Amino acid sequence: MGFIHFLELILVVAILLVVGIPLFGKLKLLKLVEKVDPDSDQYNHLLVRKEETLISIKELEFDFNTDKISEPDYKELRHKLEKEAEEILENLDGLEQERRKNKSYKSA
Amino acid sequence: MNDIGEFTLLVALATALYGCVAYVMSARGNRIDLYLSADKTPFIVWACVTISSICLMRAFLTDDFSLQYVWAYSNRELDTFYKVSSFWGGQKGSLLFWALLLSTYMVVVYFQNRSKNLRVVPYAMAVMLAVLVFFLFLINFSTNPFERIPLPPEDGRGLNPLLQNYWMVIHPPTLYLGYVGFTVPFAFAVAALISKNLDDGWIRMTRKWTLISWFFLCMGNLFGASWAYVELGWGGYWAWDPVENAAFMPLLIATAYLHSVMIQEKKDMMKVWNMSLVLLTFAMTIFGTFITRSGLIQSVHTFDEATLGYYFLAFLFVIILACAALIILRLPLLKSANELDSFLSRESSFLFNNLVLLGIAFATFWGTIFPIISEAVRGVKITVGPPFYNQVNVPIGLALLALIGIGPVIAWRRATFSNLKKNFLKPILVAIVVAVALLPVIPLGSRTEIYTYMTFVLCGFVLTSILTEFYKGTVSRMGLHEESFFGALTTVTWRNKRRYGGYIVHIGVVLIFAGIAGSQAYGTHTEKHLQLGESFEIRGYTITYEKLVAIEATSIKTRIIAQLAVERDGKRYWTGHPEKEFYKGQNQPVSEVDVLSTWKEDLYMILADFREDESATIKVYVNPMVSWMWTGGWVIAFGSMISMWPDRLEQRRRLERVRRQEQLFPSPAQE
Repeated sequence: MGFIHFLELILVVAILLVVGIPLFGKLKLLKLVEKVDPDSDQYNHLLVRKEETLISIKELEFDFNTDKISEPDYKELRHKLEKEAEEILENLDGLEQERRKNKSYKSA
Repeated sequence: MNDIGEFTLLVALATALYGCVAYVMSARGNRIDLYLSADKTPFIVWACVTISSICLMRAFLTDDFSLQYVWAYSNRELDTFYKVSSFWGGQKGSLLFWALLLSTYMVVVYFQNRSKNLRVVPYAMAVMLAVLVFFLFLINFSTNPFERIPLPPEDGRGLNPLLQNYWMVIHPPTLYLGYVGFTVPFAFAVAALISKNLDDGWIRMTRKWTLISWFFLCMGNLFGASWAYVELGWGGYWAWDPVENAAFMPLLIATAYLHSVMIQEKKDMMKVWNMSLVLLTFAMTIFGTFITRSGLIQSVHTFDEATLGYYFLAFLFVIILACAALIILRLPLLKSANELDSFLSRESSFLFNNLVLLGIAFATFWGTIFPIISEAVRGVKITVGPPFYNQVNVPIGLALLALIGIGPVIAWRRATFSNLKKNFLKPILVAIVVAVALLPVIPLGSRTEIYTYMTFVLCGFVLTSILTEFYKGTVSRMGLHEESFFGALTTVTWRNKRRYGGYIVHIGVVLIFAGIAGSQAYGTHTEKHLQLGESFEIRGYTITYEKLVAIEATSIKTRIIAQLAVERDGKRYWTGHPEKEFYKGQNQPVSEVDVLSTWKEDLYMILADFREDESATIKVYVNPMVSWMWTGGWVIAFGSMISMWPDRLEQRRRLERVRRQEQLFPSPAQE
């Protein structure tokens, strides 16, 4: 066996070891992802929407300051966005409270 | 070393195949052991492909002509600079280079996201590995760069002289960085579809990748145009060649996506549309690769041994069918709850911009594939030339230019008509001034001249609209904070990188439009056969043929250089040295043009022919405003850098979101 073939063999063995080791342990018992709580996804989605709505309010203000939108339109859209933000915050609060209640119920 | 290079390619293929399967199984079976095993493969594949690439590069640098690929694309006399570029000069090496870039991108994605979203990331890694498997399969079994020659020759055949230009060292890697980069958003989009995680998480994860890929693709197109301009010697930079089109189409679709994705982020709508655009962009990059490697279409840019068409066609069909099926399956989850607030809004202008961009992409696609279709249906290959593209794309392009100016003036969500009138006043006034000022100067005899006139007028409109945006933003900030004009301008740009970086990119696009219009409509050229000392005139330049010199540059290259004195207003202005280069073993000489480039125009000289009596045929082009295009490119680069620069505020928001999420829904280990 030449030196090159020896190196190739070492490489293959090293790769097999690196890739294979995780397959032969106690890891099999663990899960990659815990069962997804639908509330968790909903909560994340609401956090993103909250951010986007707040950014939209800032942009609306900017558009108003740079004279792109009339005062009545600005007021109407701002009211709409604030209402959206309010609903999102209420939903976030609702989810947080429900989650905390469940937690304290479990620990009790 | 060649044995190692070849072996590591095989190992990379086997590892990528395993990784792909293991990632999918780990996600489907929810098995962490398989995930941790699969998670080693991106790095192993990258290491193997890198070792293989180093081996091939070493073969080029040490003139190892036992490799058929090195023999075909290099020789002993080749500059080291071009020996490096020979790596991707042919089909075999270019595919290895593609695999190297893709595996490098994959490793970066791996380090960025491996612990972020384990519902999506395993599928995204699997998709990237699947794409790599396809390329590595081709490299290993169909077009192996380590193929040996039983009796190695003394010297190589050499690199095509047309490729011995510094732009060819820069242009292909830049273009490939763009092409390959779109695999990342594609992989995350497919992963989101498979795993049903169809909120805009995948968009946020790949936003920077999309911008970076778009930037490289845009620069790659411009560098390619520069190469064509200085090396092909026909006086132009863009010929609507199928391969040029193949690089242009993904750029158009990606541009549409970059705009429409903002609507999804803001209003949580257009999910199907954005998903389709990402998938289509990737499909177009594969289509471009198919065009250059199929041998079906003749182009100066296709590879000599283009034989891989059917593989790429099959891959393309699999991608399109699989993605279409996935989108249809997930349609109920992709429905949007929201609607546009108003037809008169920036969102609507983005929608129009999308339609216009896709219109140009479709016309270009149709013109590109028409020769293939005509040959398949009627047995006659009908080539579609620049007149078709210009007739269809120029009017649509003008609509796009107008939209670039309209967009910034319109407010998000809803614009007020009275304010619109007020805001459009200045740009329209400037457009009228430009129109009136240019009327006596610009001839309006042909359709091209009318289009050019319209382009300049629209450029005035768009530039005013964008600059007004900067001004208004700055003044608004100055009103709220005590800052100088320059300070407020810098802060407002830096705090809104995406918005103002985008505006700067638009200024670059305007410069490119102006450059194209000026050079296409008002260029002129002449060809003269001259004896030594004879002169001729073109557009106020007096050009005198002074001498012809022959130089043995290397043992394989002879340069024949003409010296041309350029006078203007009776004074010597410049000396041009266009030349012809003769390479040993190459039938055709290569023209090396000489260009005097100014903001007003380029004086572009070609030594077309010469005779033993030292007489020569000189071709001279005067191309107005070409440098505007290249300047536009650098402006785009600057704007893209600003847009891509990490946003601390956004990072802070993301961290806060993760913190709140973790507080309420801790991982099991924390509970």
